[in-house]
Amino acid sequence: MPLVRTEGLTKAFGALTAVNAVTLEVQEGALHSVIGPNGAGKTTFFNLLTGQLAPTAGRIVFDGRDIAGTPPHKIAHLGIARSFQRTSIFPTLSIADNVWLAAFARHDSWRGLAWRRADRYPELLERAQAALGEVGLADKAGQPAREISHGEQRQLELAIALAAAPRLLLLDEPAAGLSPDETQKMVGLVRKLKGRYTIVLIEHKIGVVMSMSDRISVMHFGSVIAEGTPAEIQRDAEVRRAYLGGIAPP
Amino acid sequence: MMSKAWLTVLAAVVLLPVFVRHAIATEIWIFAIFGLGLNLLLGYTGLLSFGQATFFGSAGYVAGYLLKHSAVNVLLVLAIGVVVGAVTAAAVGYLCVQRAGLYFIMLTFALNQMFYFTAYQWTTVTGGEDGMPGIPRPNVLGVDIHPPLAYYALVAALFLLSLWVMKRLVESPLGKILQAIRENEPRAEALGYDVARLKLAAFVIGGAFSGLAGVLYAMLFGIVPLESIGFVFSGNVVFATLIGGSGSLYGPVIGSFVFIWLSESVSAMWARWPLLLGVAFVIVVLFFRGGVVEAWGRFWAWRAARRPATVQTDAPR
Repeated sequence: MPLVRTEGLTKAFGALTAVNAVTLEVQEGALHSVIGPNGAGKTTFFNLLTGQLAPTAGRIVFDGRDIAGTPPHKIAHLGIARSFQRTSIFPTLSIADNVWLAAFARHDSWRGLAWRRADRYPELLERAQAALGEVGLADKAGQPAREISHGEQRQLELAIALAAAPRLLLLDEPAAGLSPDETQKMVGLVRKLKGRYTIVLIEHKIGVVMSMSDRISVMHFGSVIAEGTPAEIQRDAEVRRAYLGGIAPP
Repeated sequence: MMSKAWLTVLAAVVLLPVFVRHAIATEIWIFAIFGLGLNLLLGYTGLLSFGQATFFGSAGYVAGYLLKHSAVNVLLVLAIGVVVGAVTAAAVGYLCVQRAGLYFIMLTFALNQMFYFTAYQWTTVTGGEDGMPGIPRPNVLGVDIHPPLAYYALVAALFLLSLWVMKRLVESPLGKILQAIRENEPRAEALGYDVARLKLAAFVIGGAFSGLAGVLYAMLFGIVPLESIGFVFSGNVVFATLIGGSGSLYGPVIGSFVFIWLSESVSAMWARWPLLLGVAFVIVVLFFRGGVVEAWGRFWAWRAARRPATVQTDAPR
């Protein structure tokens, strides 16, 4: 059963149709990648899923209900979490607080919101600590987020998404701007998440995508031009012309 | 277990009336309550409100009217002042949080002007330019608060209460969420926080503190002057908070002390004292963005860095 399905999802900015009638299904538990050249509409597609943008047309069915046009803060409560392509963290707050905020947002009740001390929520501290442990930042919890390296900030970005206990995890180029070593580490992290979360991954590094995706959708000028397993995508002639630039099938 | 900061504040509360005229000492803590409310917006949420006098003045007028024309219990009047501050802040804030940045600031300012001119025109109630004089100071629970020191004690107690409440607030989840909004609004929204509503909550809480301060101010001087709802007053509290340091809970308290003490003591000697304040402000903005709190921290860091050097030069002797 698909966890999320879009039907004819379209977003136009004036004359530019950034996302054009995208129909796509993501199966529960799958790692589904979205690839395509810069400007293909991948991030806009994410922004539609998370409510940052309202679609011009089409439906987004998440777990059986249409969520198109729902504001972002409500989408988050349904269990859709994302990481951002350009690192989006709380720079002066501690790393622990960064993830704690994600955990608290999804807490079943906001009891004590304005009165209880923030450190008196043991189950949230635990969840935050677990998310940091998952990405390997547990020992830096007390540091302000702006003081760690870019690579570590990318890991924090992922930890914030995980601390929200998502049912659907949207990862927007988690390895953006990372060195080869750091990329390896990030790929390892995402691989560890595969199977435990339903993941939609935007990524440019083709090798990474081919090696770990269950399914791949290829976007070009706002439309999905192909969809299939990694092997099928690699054989697809149109994809090779549009994007892969003539990479020979293995 | 009481922290060093609390002991310092307690000592200041006890010692201040020994060194400073009681009315000035009282005004310092009133202004500190006002500053605490603003700083939840300015320092924690990152919202610069140039209209805090709206809530301060509105509460002052309502409380003044009640005190003059009815025999309402003073504690009830204080509570009503808090509610008036919160309700006006809810109305004003609802409009302001729809916009961000400069537009937000201009809206707080414009609405402040609207309240100001309403008070200016509505002379039958507010007294217009002459203010609303003759506000009594009835007994509190049978205690006469006419003696300046007695009133000082009441205000100081309410200040300590306000400081404690604000400390709880900023250490609560809400305090953390507001800081998250200050740091990165889109991310906070993506995490599931309704940013507009939470900003409004900060606004209402800030308004409640302003309201309390407004009532105490009216009772201190026995008059609600028209200026208490004017934009200069709104500016003063921003000014004081920035001088003290908007990045910390205690910043506005220190700022209030510096601002009121300077304005009351230096203005008696030198009519152009705002010039001095201007210079202080420029220094803060250029060199100590964190205000007195940051300057203090840097001073001690500098002292600590020097100390090992002194020890070394002493050693050969």
